[in-house]
Amino acid sequence: MTLPVWAWIIVLPLITSPLIYFIGHLGKSRGVFAQRTALLAFAATWAAFVLAAQDLQHNGISKLMVGSISLKFDGLSLLLAMIALVLGSFVVIFSGHYLADEEGQEKYYAMLMAMIGVMIGLGCTNDLFNLWIWFEAMAVTSYLLVAFYKDLPTSLEAGIKYLVQSAAGSTLVLLAIGLVVAETGALNLDEIRQTAESSPALMAAGILFVIGYGVKTALVPLHTWLPDAHSQAPSGISAMLSGIVIEAGLIAMLRSLSALSGVTTLWGPLLMSFGILNMVVGNLMAFGQAQVKRMLAYSSLVHVGYMLIGLGIAFSMRDVIGAQGGFFHMFNHGLMKGLAFLAAGSMLYTLHISKGDHRPLLFDDLAGAAKRYPWAALTLSIALLSLAGLPPLAGFMSKWQIFVAGVDTHNGWIIAVVAFAALNSVFSLTYYAPLVNTVYRCEPSAIVLSGKRLPVVMKLPLVLMALGIIAIGIWPSLMNWLTEPAGTALLAGLGG
Amino acid sequence: MNISPLNICLLGVIGLVAAGFYGLLTTRNLIKVVIMLQILVKAAVLGLITAGNISGQLYVTQSMAITVIVADTIVAVIGMAFAIQIRRQVGTLDTNELSSLRG
Repeated sequence: MTLPVWAWIIVLPLITSPLIYFIGHLGKSRGVFAQRTALLAFAATWAAFVLAAQDLQHNGISKLMVGSISLKFDGLSLLLAMIALVLGSFVVIFSGHYLADEEGQEKYYAMLMAMIGVMIGLGCTNDLFNLWIWFEAMAVTSYLLVAFYKDLPTSLEAGIKYLVQSAAGSTLVLLAIGLVVAETGALNLDEIRQTAESSPALMAAGILFVIGYGVKTALVPLHTWLPDAHSQAPSGISAMLSGIVIEAGLIAMLRSLSALSGVTTLWGPLLMSFGILNMVVGNLMAFGQAQVKRMLAYSSLVHVGYMLIGLGIAFSMRDVIGAQGGFFHMFNHGLMKGLAFLAAGSMLYTLHISKGDHRPLLFDDLAGAAKRYPWAALTLSIALLSLAGLPPLAGFMSKWQIFVAGVDTHNGWIIAVVAFAALNSVFSLTYYAPLVNTVYRCEPSAIVLSGKRLPVVMKLPLVLMALGIIAIGIWPSLMNWLTEPAGTALLAGLGG
Repeated sequence: MNISPLNICLLGVIGLVAAGFYGLLTTRNLIKVVIMLQILVKAAVLGLITAGNISGQLYVTQSMAITVIVADTIVAVIGMAFAIQIRRQVGTLDTNELSSLRG
């Protein structure tokens, strides 16, 4: 059997993951060996990705049957693969110095690679149970990565909280799959879509999907693991969790819900209500945080809220612009939050970790950091301002597209929701702006003055991501090749 | 309601889910928390088999159930590993004493 080119984007990371572990064991400096191998693996996966993207553009969606399991490569798969690869590559480059003094680096890179492989697989599946398998595999890799600092009580606490909540959520998904099988007798998403009719059992299944996958997507009130996991994980993993893992949960939820789109018209309003809850609770919790990474973690809730509003519009109105806006924001959020976590991580590294100290990074620690670390400060500020939605940065463009899609529906309720989202976006400045202010306008603190030098290799991903955010902000149509097929794929899933 | 095998299975699923969530919410011991998660998974496995019986797809759902058992054993192993490591580093398995992360 010859595999289509897109299957290699899943296969390559999964094959190289154990290789990275073994090669890491060969040399004395395990981390360096493992990191170099991971970079090579990324180069190969990127090559496969470029070919797959061209193939999708020219030949359209392609399907593959493995036994009775159906896989397909459509716009959603492309989007998820792109975010995973972009973030993953930057995180691997970044982590070399960040983890230099830690034990078990080869396991870190191997797990990271496996996580990327299973997330791309999650995007490509067209089978309800297979979706759960990828989802569970992603969860297992992320539990281990969150608790990477296995001797720190706080990191273990975050890990077990994450595991318990996520595992309880995934059993709810299994119960939902049971309900769908009992009602429709099918597992293939297309077959379910054709046979699903309005029934209480399928309604319950949809709600269980929302709750089960919602734990991973951090829907309020199922979000309590998120601030702990994001703040305790190594910064590279925080960037991955926030930039892609919660989004992968969202894609899994969208895939399963879109198969049940014939059951009720309430999925759209349900997603939008969770969007509102997420924005409000995320904003209120982020406001007044003293730890930088915790603040960024709560801001992820807010951004999931914006995505849910865009996608909710797509669900209720069969509106492709809303879907594209939601997915555009998903990509931009990956880039912005990834950059924010990596930039904060670079400061955490120079100020605390390089001295062997695993204290959290506080707002006050960063006072006057711009004088000593101009690049880290500049890129952190670009990320924060883009998250707040200031033009002409990427975050503004995607939020704008969601808002425009909402206003274009001419539906009073949706316009009110969108207006409320815009207000929330303005409110978010109240916690982003003080951090930028502290970094630039205060006198350098004693911690900043005694900090170590920031290695050039760590600056590289920061600068590249910041340039990406500015470029997308100025030319938002640059990402149309990614967001348009994703929007179309979701709408096709909804049968619209 | 007549007592058919199907109804017994459905009651079993509901009972196990209820017991699992009740235990998850009330127990304070990490080992017991992992056991409660396992009870929830058993509910899901029973649910899948019952669903296969209802829809006449028993072969499919049986293989799914076996896959679930394998996947969930991995989760249980990691959960236990965390519990052991927490006992070593913190000196307790009580979740009440594990609440340094707040706010």
